Amino acid sequence: MSRILSTFPTVWRQIVRAPLRSGLTVAGIAMAIFLFTSVEAMRSGVHEATSASAEDATLIVYRENRFCPFSSKLPQYYGDRIERVEGVSSVVPMQILVSNCRASLDVVTFRGIPADDVERTLSDAAQIVDGDMDTWQKRGDAALVGESMAVRRGVKVGDRFSAAGITVYIAGIVASDRLQDRNVAYVKLPFIQEAMYRGGTGGIVTQFIVTVDDPTSLDTVAASIDAEFARDEHPTSTWPEKAFTGRAARDVLELVNFASWVGWGSLAMVLALIGNAIVLAMRDRIRDHAVLQTLGFTGGLLAWMVLMEGAILGLLGGAVGAIASVALMMVGRFNLTMEGVNIEVAHDPRLAFVGAGIALGLGLLAGVVPALRAARAEISEGLRAV
Amino acid sequence: MSLIECRQLTRTYRRGDQEITPLRDLDLDIEAGTFLALMGPSGSGKTTLLNLLAGIDRPTSGSLVVDGREIHHLSRGALAAWRASAVGYIFQLYNLVPVLTAYENVELPLLLHRISRKERHRRVAAALDLVGIADRSDHLPRQLSGGQEQRVAIARAIVTDPTLILADEPTGDLDRESAVSIMDLMARLNRDLGRTIVMVTHDPKTTEWCDSVLHLEKGRLAEAEGEATTPMASESNLESEDVR
Ligand SMILES: Nc1ncnc2c1ncn2[C@@H]1O[C@H](COP(=O)(O)OP(=O)(O)OP(=O)(O)O)[C@@H](O)[C@H]1O
Ligand SMILES: [Mg+2]
Repeated sequence: MSRILSTFPTVWRQIVRAPLRSGLTVAGIAMAIFLFTSVEAMRSGVHEATSASAEDATLIVYRENRFCPFSSKLPQYYGDRIERVEGVSSVVPMQILVSNCRASLDVVTFRGIPADDVERTLSDAAQIVDGDMDTWQKRGDAALVGESMAVRRGVKVGDRFSAAGITVYIAGIVASDRLQDRNVAYVKLPFIQEAMYRGGTGGIVTQFIVTVDDPTSLDTVAASIDAEFARDEHPTSTWPEKAFTGRAARDVLELVNFASWVGWGSLAMVLALIGNAIVLAMRDRIRDHAVLQTLGFTGGLLAWMVLMEGAILGLLGGAVGAIASVALMMVGRFNLTMEGVNIEVAHDPRLAFVGAGIALGLGLLAGVVPALRAARAEISEGLRAV
Repeated sequence: MSLIECRQLTRTYRRGDQEITPLRDLDLDIEAGTFLALMGPSGSGKTTLLNLLAGIDRPTSGSLVVDGREIHHLSRGALAAWRASAVGYIFQLYNLVPVLTAYENVELPLLLHRISRKERHRRVAAALDLVGIADRSDHLPRQLSGGQEQRVAIARAIVTDPTLILADEPTGDLDRESAVSIMDLMARLNRDLGRTIVMVTHDPKTTEWCDSVLHLEKGRLAEAEGEATTPMASESNLESEDVR
């Protein structure tokens, strides 16, 4: 072990004293890992937004056959009837106002909810990290802005903020475990209804957020709700929240699935880049290796040196690419919004470790065959090599 | 007992159906402290013999005992350990690692020894000093002349205090002047530090620094000379002729 470590400086010198070759290799790896990590961030964001988990207890009641917050209109009094459906624990009517209904990277989403329902809507998963609830309760035009949206828009408590034709006062910033919370602004229902249906069509909402008593009964409750309104003037279509997001985001899902091929492709590229760099380096070093063996280096030690070289190249390139990608995600807080639902591109620092770690692993892998070859090489043959 | 004892030493290379036996049934004893020159036409098996002595290559048959150790029985790993501790090898084309400085090249064999960094530094500095190249320790091989490169290579060969120094045409690629100073240096290692040296050479002039000369012919000893006729060559003598 101590021998392996004592050869580290030599391996390092072999890398840094061929700056052009190593630089090109590291740059290539960095770009590929940047790509891979970015695709992973998207995948993990989509996964978070659309994968149902056993604890999910939220249903979204939408107008049947409507796919945009602008066109889904349900009478607010439906809330009382939904509340009476077996298995429903709570109902919050919600008016959604988006600045853009199509898929876009920078949509502002307002969610209007009754003032009394705000605590329940935010629940334990969300906290106000700046500003306070009192101000929100007191002011008619107050908004609680999700953290990611605040970062992306560069707004803070006390600011006024205009989008989608309304202007709100920012009373608080909300941090939340739920990604939808992080990317919307909560305002009071009457305020948003007033703004949207000037002249008074209060009593209309986009959707209802329903919590069920028992997560396993999600589908049964959804069916019961839709049955309740099937013969009504405004039939409903009720979805588990994640499924609702998945439906709204189906195009994005397809895109991301395709992008994951790009991600795998970049990993193959990393393997090829490191493999190529090492194979070329080995060809130049046949004689060097024979000389090192003559000095008493064992084949095994040489093999370790080759593996170390691949690992260092991989780790260097991987770290640069993965950190750049995660930094971009953290600064940009990219968020895809379509039909009023949000998909956040993950901005998790752990992804940087994943990217760099994978590059390191690929570096080792790329070195295996050259390392074995170096270990088995005959010294006298190597010394005769030109 | 001699430092090196070869008995019936044979090395056969097989390439396809062809068999080449550059070394056949060689019996040879070399005393400790000798500076031996090995001569012979190209292809006569000089490098082959040197590689066997160095533990780089293994005999097909016969026995080779160096310093009481049966080299022909050692495993690959044991041979490597033996090379690391007991052998210093000097090549015709220096064979320094091109991306490492003179200092780092000399340090290489010490990386295999369990010694402190400070001790390692002391030994490298001493070796570089001995070969007279301490002021070039930060230079890369390509920044050195051939003679200087060979000095660094010699420093690398002696830095571990080996029992045996093997040199394959160490002056073969050098001009007259550099050759003379390299031979002076080798003779000094032999005389002052008591190192046993086996040197392959094509140049009769260089044998004048040696104690004895052996001639190989088709893998066998052609004749065994005793003491070299002239113990030391004068430099003027060498300069008048082409060493190459
Ligand atoms: N690894 C090997 N595989 C096959 N043949 C070899 C190998 N090493 C040496 N030989 C052959 O053995 C013979 C002797 O080679 P060797 O290198 O010992 O000669 P030499 O006396 O050192 O010659 P020179 O003066 O040209 O260096 C040559 O014919 C050579 O081709
Ligand atoms: Mg030879």
